[in-house]
Amino acid sequence: MSRGVHEDEEMEGESGSGVSGSGVPASLDFLALRVLPLASRLVPAVRRADWAREWQAELWQLRHDGRRSRGVDFSSAMSLAYGLVADAAWLRLDWTRDSMRGSAAACLYTLTAYCLLCAAMELEVAGSWHSFWHVVGAHFFGSFLFVAVPAMVAAVGTYPLRPLRCDHAHIGAKKRLSARTRWNLFLAAKIALTLILGFLATLVATVPARMVVGKYADWVELLLASVLVTVGLRWALLNQEQRCQKCLRMMGQPTRVGPPSRNFLEWNGMELVCTEGHGLLHVPEMQGSWCWYDVWVELEPGWGGIFGS
Amino acid sequence: MSSGKLSHSVAILLKALSLGYQFGFEIMEVTGLPSGTVYPALRRLERDGLVSSQWEPDEEATKEQRPARRYYELTRVGKEAESTATKRYPLLSRLLPEKLVKSV
Repeated sequence: MSRGVHEDEEMEGESGSGVSGSGVPASLDFLALRVLPLASRLVPAVRRADWAREWQAELWQLRHDGRRSRGVDFSSAMSLAYGLVADAAWLRLDWTRDSMRGSAAACLYTLTAYCLLCAAMELEVAGSWHSFWHVVGAHFFGSFLFVAVPAMVAAVGTYPLRPLRCDHAHIGAKKRLSARTRWNLFLAAKIALTLILGFLATLVATVPARMVVGKYADWVELLLASVLVTVGLRWALLNQEQRCQKCLRMMGQPTRVGPPSRNFLEWNGMELVCTEGHGLLHVPEMQGSWCWYDVWVELEPGWGGIFGS
Repeated sequence: MSSGKLSHSVAILLKALSLGYQFGFEIMEVTGLPSGTVYPALRRLERDGLVSSQWEPDEEATKEQRPARRYYELTRVGKEAESTATKRYPLLSRLLPEKLVKSV
């Protein structure tokens, strides 16, 4: 079913030269031989052959139907070229959106975007880069640091005792960085961005208070910063627990397992699965000596087809 | 995709599919919509489960001496969405002619 673009082009060329003759507008040839191969590079590799085959068939239809091909002038050929590229671009966009959903990169990009947004708002209020850096420096070393450190201790210290770590070596993990290193790097980056966001969001949120009550707004800022840092860090840790240890994607498809009435006989709680099929996360509803923490169960690669989306 | 949120062009597309128009150019021709609208909309409808597609059997295409086409058709959910759209836009039925013969 899935033939390559070039194979299709050859077939197109062979059959086209025999049937269409000189009645085919050059713009259609240009579309089939130049625009289509270029646009096909936009299409994700898994769908490229099918996509190219479909468009080859559609263009063939147009080229070999005398009535239709005569109606193809420059503007309609351009419209067709636009459609071809728009179709390829839509597939790329949809695929990118799907592959980014729940991924570690999407999480870091989103946090960075929020940080930049807050920084831009603060810059707008400050009026110049010089004032911006002055305000940032003064508030960071003057108040945020004194609040953030105790808030971090409170957030981490009161967090339920769980093994927040990447458990062990992973099957088939042959990347430049080990799964554990990537896990720790992602956690560090997420915490750093969460703290920066907490700081910048506090600055932006207290702008109206600064305008109204002047330096007394520092108290509001201290309170808000401590709340944002505590909540942000708790979120960062909880979010880390709900990710696949191998690909760092958010686990999904929660399923209840076991009736609570049998708690003494077997575990009951929630089971989450990695959307790529790397593993399962057992989250016990009630902790017991045999099931104290969330348990990560790594699956062999063969299971990916069943549990993966 | 909720049937209540169907755009005009998607409603036309669903109607065309319900009338038996099955592949891209055929749909473009009968609806007058440009390819930049029809193909991405078909992909979106397929992703949302309103439309399904399948390749025409190779033997059939070979018999007619042309490459195999990808045919689209409405799913059960798509048919429901189409009937909702037709109720909402009654003129759709008059806008598009019923497909009489299978195009070559």
